[in-house]
This record gives sequence, structure tokens and C-alpha cells, in this order.
Amino acid sequence: MISKNKNSRCGKIKAWLHRVAGSRLGLDAAWVQKHIADCPKCRQRLALLGRVNLALSMIKSQPHSLDLLMRANAQAIGVLRHSLRYSPKAHRLKAVRPEPKLWERCRKYTHSVANAAACIAIVILMKTGIFSYMNNVQTQGRNVVKHYYAAQVGQDMADDMFST
Amino acid sequence: MFDKTASCGLIWDFAISKSVDESQRWVLSTMQRHGQELVTMLWRILGNEQDVCDAYQDTFLQLAHYQGRQKPEHIKAYIFRTASNVAVSMLRRKMAEKRLCRTIAEKPDARLYLAKQAQNAYPLNQLDSKHLQETLRYCITRLPEHLRNVLTLRDLAELSYAQVGRILGISEGTARVYRYKAIQLLAVWMNKEKKADQ
Repeated sequence: MISKNKNSRCGKIKAWLHRVAGSRLGLDAAWVQKHIADCPKCRQRLALLGRVNLALSMIKSQPHSLDLLMRANAQAIGVLRHSLRYSPKAHRLKAVRPEPKLWERCRKYTHSVANAAACIAIVILMKTGIFSYMNNVQTQGRNVVKHYYAAQVGQDMADDMFST
Repeated sequence: MFDKTASCGLIWDFAISKSVDESQRWVLSTMQRHGQELVTMLWRILGNEQDVCDAYQDTFLQLAHYQGRQKPEHIKAYIFRTASNVAVSMLRRKMAEKRLCRTIAEKPDARLYLAKQAQNAYPLNQLDSKHLQETLRYCITRLPEHLRNVLTLRDLAELSYAQVGRILGISEGTARVYRYKAIQLLAVWMNKEKKADQ
């Protein structure tokens, strides 16, 4: 239990250190930007790294045809054992198409989920907080007025007035 | 007596074939679970669909014949490393062939012809992009194995540093350091290539 707590604290500190180091030592840090503006060598180094990153992004952004997975599966299954080649799973794999990951599929629903959550939160707040508070105010006000009338015209009259 | 032996043999054969089928079914399960990620990684390394299919086939063939058709302990690590190695070997072969073609086509007439052909195939900005990608692929094949593995798994397969560390059997911090070194080497080599082209 103690070691678990210690680990979680270590994790938090580690994340914090990354954040702080990133903000102070990262490329976006003000002093780094200032230095780069003044130093031609660093500017060149940065340009070279930028070229590698650009090439990597280009490679990542190149789309392949939709049936590539299907074709690759079919070709790979073709060289497997006879019993595997003709299994129902193999047939399914030969016709499979790339599908977005779960979080990518869920991304389009995030707005609706956020809206629904906000509505639910408002309803809960109204139900629990505001309405009960209003009720309290109303009953307290009623009691104060009842006391006032009881003092002025007598308890019986006040009971009669507030019983309806 | 003979009939009894024959029937026992048949039952035994059936049992063996069934157990082999059962034991090899994980190959298809692996294909189902990791196929998409593998194809994406191979496509990014190779940039050619037929080569992707060939590398994918080689990877699963190696997996199916791994140590007497046994299932590897860390199957994801095995297939990603195998696929990456297969793809890089293919890329190296192709690059060597291209270099050979280029040395043959060093004559001015042939150069002019090739340049015209390339310009007809792609517009100028696309040509630059293709060239940049090819240069990066060539430089990746030149990287030392430990750096290349981290770069391909982190940047081309888009796995997290934790996953890369688990697959390669190194710590997360080491994976980060290796990636940084790989990028630095790539930057230097790509600059040299650019100067050589000019």
C-alpha cells in the first residue's frame, strides 16, 4: 500500500518534471527562441532537424489504397498451412478493411457527449442545489412572517391565516 | 487386430492434425489484431504497395515457422521487429539497385532523359516531396540497428515510448535517447545528401 502511494507520487513528480523541463528547455522557451534568432549555427541545426521532421510528416501523411490490408492478408494467408488457409477466420481476414481506432470513432461523438454531460450537470444542480435552496428560503420566510403575525394578532389568528 | 491398429492410427492422426490446427490458429489471430498497424508501418517504410504485401507475407511466414511452429512469447515484439527488419532489407536492396542504375545513367544524354521522364511523371513540387521521402528512407536504412528500430517503431509505427521500450527490451528513457540520436544522424546525413545533389 505504502509502495503504491510512493509510486503514484513518483509518477506525479515525474510528469511535473517533464512539464517544467519542457517549458524551460523546449524549443518554445523564450530564451531558446531568442538564442536561435541570434545564433546562425543553431538556426542551421534547427533547419536541418526541421527538414527531417518535414520528411517524416510527409511519409506519415501519404495515404495507401483502402484494400491494401485485404491484399496483404490474402497474400500472407496464401502461404500458410492448408487448414489455416480455408478456415472461416482466414476468409474474414481476406475481406477486412482498415477501421479507425476506437478513440477515433468516438471522437465525432465527443461534442454531443459533452453537451449531454453539461445538461445532466445542470439538471442535477437544479434538482439538488437551487430548488432545495429556494424551498428553504420560502419556508424560512413563511416562518418569519408567521412569527410576526403571532406576535401582533395572536397565535390562533396566525395559525388560521397560515393553515390554508 | 490389423483393423484395431489402423483405427488407432487414424484417431492418433486426427488428434495430431487437430492439435496442430489449434496451435497455429494464433497466427490468424495475430494477423487480425496487429495486421493494420503492421501494414501502416510497412507502407511508411517501403512506400510501395506490392513491397508492403511481400514484406507482410515474409513476416507471417517467419512467424508461422518460428522454432518448430511454436508461438513466440512476446508475439507483438516479434512481428514488429521481424517486419521492420524485412522491410529495411528490401529497402536496402532497392536502394542498391537504384544506385547502380544511377551510375549506369551517368552519361549526360541519359541524365537528361531520366530528368524529363521524372518531370512528366510528377509535377515539380511533388517531385521534391518524393525526393525528400526517398532521401529519408535511404538514410533510415543506413542507421545502426538499435537506433533504426526505435525510429521505425516510434515514428513510423506510431507506438508510444513505453511500447517501444517493451518491444525492444530497453527502458523508456533509453528509447527517447536513441530516437534523439537517430534524428540527429538523419539531419546530418540528409544535409550531406542535399549538398551532393546540388
